Amino acid sequence: MENALGLDGGQTTMIAITIAITVLGLASLTAAMFWKTRWQIKYSLEFVFIGGLLFLAWYGDFVSTSTFTAYQEPMEADEVSGEIASEEDQFFDRTLTVVAFQWGFAFITEENEISRNAAVVKPGEKVLFRVVSNDVIHGFQIPSASITAEIDPDEVRRVWIRTPDEPGKYLIQCVNYCGVGHAQMKAWLVVEGDEDEETANLTIEGTNDGA
Amino acid sequence: MAHELDGVRTGEKPHWTPTDIIGNMSLGTLMFSNDYRHIALKGMLTSLLMLAIGGIFAIIFRTELMVPDQQILGARVYMTLMTLHGMFMVFGFLIPLTISINYYMIPKVLGSDQLVWARGAQWSYWTLIAAAVLLVIGRPDFTWTAYAPMSLRVGDNMLWAGFAAIILVAISEFLAGAVLLRNALVAAKRSGWSRLPMMGWGAFAVGVLLVISTIPLGYVGFGLLMDWLEATDIAFFDPARGGSVMTFLYIFWLYGHPAVYLPFIPAIAVLYTLMPRILGRPMWSYWSGVVAFLLLMVFALPIGPHHFQPATTVTTGYQRFIQIITLLVFIPSVLHVFNWIATLWGSPIPASARRSIPFKFMIASIAFLIYGGATAYINAQIATDSDFIHNTYWIPAHFHAMFMGFVGQMAVGAVYYLYPYFTGRMYSQKLANAHFWMWQIGIFTKVTMMFMLGYAYFPRWVYDYLDLAQWSMPQFLLTIGAYLIGLGFLVFIFNFAWSARRGPAAPDEPWPVEHDGPVEAATPAE
Repeated sequence: MENALGLDGGQTTMIAITIAITVLGLASLTAAMFWKTRWQIKYSLEFVFIGGLLFLAWYGDFVSTSTFTAYQEPMEADEVSGEIASEEDQFFDRTLTVVAFQWGFAFITEENEISRNAAVVKPGEKVLFRVVSNDVIHGFQIPSASITAEIDPDEVRRVWIRTPDEPGKYLIQCVNYCGVGHAQMKAWLVVEGDEDEETANLTIEGTNDGA
Repeated sequence: MAHELDGVRTGEKPHWTPTDIIGNMSLGTLMFSNDYRHIALKGMLTSLLMLAIGGIFAIIFRTELMVPDQQILGARVYMTLMTLHGMFMVFGFLIPLTISINYYMIPKVLGSDQLVWARGAQWSYWTLIAAAVLLVIGRPDFTWTAYAPMSLRVGDNMLWAGFAAIILVAISEFLAGAVLLRNALVAAKRSGWSRLPMMGWGAFAVGVLLVISTIPLGYVGFGLLMDWLEATDIAFFDPARGGSVMTFLYIFWLYGHPAVYLPFIPAIAVLYTLMPRILGRPMWSYWSGVVAFLLLMVFALPIGPHHFQPATTVTTGYQRFIQIITLLVFIPSVLHVFNWIATLWGSPIPASARRSIPFKFMIASIAFLIYGGATAYINAQIATDSDFIHNTYWIPAHFHAMFMGFVGQMAVGAVYYLYPYFTGRMYSQKLANAHFWMWQIGIFTKVTMMFMLGYAYFPRWVYDYLDLAQWSMPQFLLTIGAYLIGLGFLVFIFNFAWSARRGPAAPDEPWPVEHDGPVEAATPAE
């Protein structure tokens, strides 16, 4: 599945580091408890350890910041050029204004067509969502595109994704508690193929992989 | 010149004797005595009651979540139970239980045999009881974070009680913090900072955090109450009436982040106190622990904004500063764990320790601290946070591992440790073992299933969900895990109640350090 943040590489590394830290910690604890050999740890080892942690902190900050900056770049360019940009210069194939409300999402196209709880897109497009909220803090998450945003009232949050190549219905959901209707606050990213395939099974990964 | 506190610092036992405090007191003494033993006992019993209430709420809404599309609760009732579960567990169980254990241990460990300004602790207790009553009256359904303006648009006409409860919680915790800070300062003045036992450093760190961070909480509670009453022309936080949501978020998380360290630091201090006593030898490093306490205290204050995604700062230097500090706060926590593992590894584990229930809970809690704490590394990063972490079940998984797995288990282990000092009797070892294993399996299942759900983008705060295989299967197992934890709690309470009358009388030293055979490597405490 396309990953909006392009995190596949970086994220796998970070999860691997996390698992490695967990295994190292639990293995040391187990050894300290049950291994026959006793070990008087030297103080210098702790400083080596701190050095390793400082490196990990630097590395995490570096990967996270560069990944996120790369993700933000096209949106910042879009913000600067605004309406003036010519068709060819535009990075995004489609821009949707999203109004998050209690409780649902309204998607407004550039032609001012409104659809409620369904964002209709074509496969493989670059889609920009300008998300606003008029009432309370909402969330905007597209699991299949690996992106989560939090939208405060009276602010515009930009989110972009590359739509999946497989036609189908993909989940869009609110992840911030926003009142009693929060659990129902869901919408669908409808990726239309050449023939309109109506879908029977809904999954957050799309309809075709049957996960 | 040898100092009387040196022995304490290196793990020597101060004079603790098992006595039947519970059997020799009237209800009035328990309620209003300013003796630190009674204050601590009252706080511990109340916290366990809060754990029971918060646990019952959890069992009910867990049953609701067991299978998709089946409703036994409405959304409103579900969210009320969820909100009260969070508030009772954090404000009623974790923070007061760890602080009450500190109230009991501080006078013993710091060698004064009395709690300085015990009246403050008394007032703190009764303010918290009032807050709990107000919470039940108000039945808020705005989650424990009470995000404006959502929190102003939910509930019924008794919701003011929920906001008033937030103010009372802030007052109660401020008083508790002042008591701990004063005790730490008095002890430091007597012994000198470099001789202050770890319990004193813990009391200092958490006291500073409590005193500073509860002021924003009180302000948030006051602002929400005013907004709800529409008492001011221009609202504090409600954007519909000129208020600012950003102000709310920044001020709330100025409390909200230190709030997670409020039970965490006292639990660590308890661990530092009990581990040398159970192992019969000093900790591996004193200064490493002190530095880690101070770093935790300093880093805890600015990093609140990592809990939300402020639109204006996602790519700015400020947000990056928060990310870096959040990555660095990992280090003091790891220093503590390093210290504990080095202490355990240094010489043979006494056979008496392997048998003792408090020690088992201590080791299990360290394991959960590693399990839940390692994920802090990816939680801190904005990029991964914007993928599957922010407000999915990944976050409850992280803090349940820390709160239940570490703080809760460490505190319960300490309660087992203190049991003979309050009843003069020992609990049933068999039942305690049953409790221990039920909790390990239950909490591990719960936390692991929550991590799986989070990785599958399961949103927080929903009472129903789509029938997807990657969602419904972990939810089912998660509920089973919760039942197991509830069952373990029943065993725990039954054991305590039964043993208080019929348990074997505790020996003068309930926790002797005994090795199976001759030990060369074990160094006596000096």
